[in-house]
Amino acid sequence: MSEKRNISSFDQFRAILHKDIVMELRTKEMLTSMGLYALLVLIIYYVALSQAGSAFEVERIAGGLLLLAIVFTSMLGLNRSLVHEKDQGCLEALLLSPVDRPVIFFGKAVGNLIFLILVQILIVPLFYFIFMSGSQVQSGPWWMLALALLVGSIGIAGVGTFLATMSVNTTGTDFILAIMFIPLVFPLLLVVVAALTAVITADAGYTQVYWTMLAAAAGYDVIMIAVAFALYEFIIGA
Amino acid sequence: MSKQLKIAIILMVIGALLTTLAFFMAFYTARVQGFGTVVSDQPLDTAFALAPPSMQPTDGIAYERPWLSQKIFYFHVPVAEASFLIFTIAAIFALLFLLRKDKKYDTRSRIAMETAFVFVVATMITGVLWTRASWGVWWDWEPRLTTYFIMMILMIAYFVVRNSVGDEERAATYGAVFCLIAWVDAPLSFIITRLIPSNHPVVFQSGMDTTNLIPFIIAQIGMLMIGYAIYVLRVTEESMHERIELLKERLEA
Repeated sequence: MSEKRNISSFDQFRAILHKDIVMELRTKEMLTSMGLYALLVLIIYYVALSQAGSAFEVERIAGGLLLLAIVFTSMLGLNRSLVHEKDQGCLEALLLSPVDRPVIFFGKAVGNLIFLILVQILIVPLFYFIFMSGSQVQSGPWWMLALALLVGSIGIAGVGTFLATMSVNTTGTDFILAIMFIPLVFPLLLVVVAALTAVITADAGYTQVYWTMLAAAAGYDVIMIAVAFALYEFIIGA
Repeated sequence: MSKQLKIAIILMVIGALLTTLAFFMAFYTARVQGFGTVVSDQPLDTAFALAPPSMQPTDGIAYERPWLSQKIFYFHVPVAEASFLIFTIAAIFALLFLLRKDKKYDTRSRIAMETAFVFVVATMITGVLWTRASWGVWWDWEPRLTTYFIMMILMIAYFVVRNSVGDEERAATYGAVFCLIAWVDAPLSFIITRLIPSNHPVVFQSGMDTTNLIPFIIAQIGMLMIGYAIYVLRVTEESMHERIELLKERLEA
């Protein structure tokens, strides 16, 4: 097929990504639903913490709460991104077209990552204003926080896209995604929360903890994305 | 009755006898570990009494440990090791299925997963009892327990995923793929106590008394026999089931 027009894998990847972004710009469905859902999670956090009093240190749990909101929101988004593909017959069209299967994976995963980052740009400042604005703790630099969130998001988007491709073909889509996704990303969540908490509390020698945890998270990302890359062909063809 | 089935039934009986034997040996022939204690660096809120002053270490506080705690070892460790082994066999069959697309391997992988799950549940129950008896708590989020717990959840997810896919071939592929991903946790859980310092004891690192080693090995062999027997019995049952379905179809046609 590459004799007539030389379409590289990168062009295919860009086309898939472009399609997702154009669709999102037209419907604005993913971002609105994910953004609103994240906001609702923050409201529930407020309810959950409303009786905690003023004595407890919110910095100790802020990293965990923030990542939890992102995980819940991402599951909603991941599901939607693949359900759309299936409902509108786009997934079948993609499979019929001469596109390498891993390219489809990377196209969808990067699209999901972009939406996830956009939602985070919205909810991280909101989270700060709602829960942390009264905090007296001198936190670490903001870019460290952003980097930890980015490494976490890459893993979530990669593993999530892979699993959502499976769950979209099952009955009970949402639940199936959750039961596969949460135990699989468990190690990633653990180390990213450790990195986030290290930055937020900024205890003595926090940079060492931060970089160790970030290295573990990055290692998880590399391994899991490599595994997803290798196995994607099987699940999308099934 | 096939020869393999006969062997499986015999192995089941022998395995049951061996594990029972090991259990009694643990009580009668194994060197009794005197008065067991749990040492902690800070006061614990446990149900156990403080150890007598003569047993107290210079740093930390020692608590009494129930006699039960050491005996579970002969059941808990063999079951856990068998669970890792059977899970690995399931993953190998899953890989074979993905490579060769033969339904035979998928059935074997699924049945090995079922067998492994039985052992995982047994490990969990004995483990929780041991945790209670040895550390004074029912559960502790330490590396081995955490990774093993995640492994159990992944196995449950495996069956949920399989059952929620309508198409049989697709269910087999998804199951094999998920089995392979989930399996990554098994070696991780196995070596993690050797990598990260944790409360969970590491077998064979400190060496074992011969009187303790013998019942342990007997229990291990017995458990593997039972695991193999369960697996073969289930495979036979499944193939019989398939044959009945085939006969039914032929009868209707």
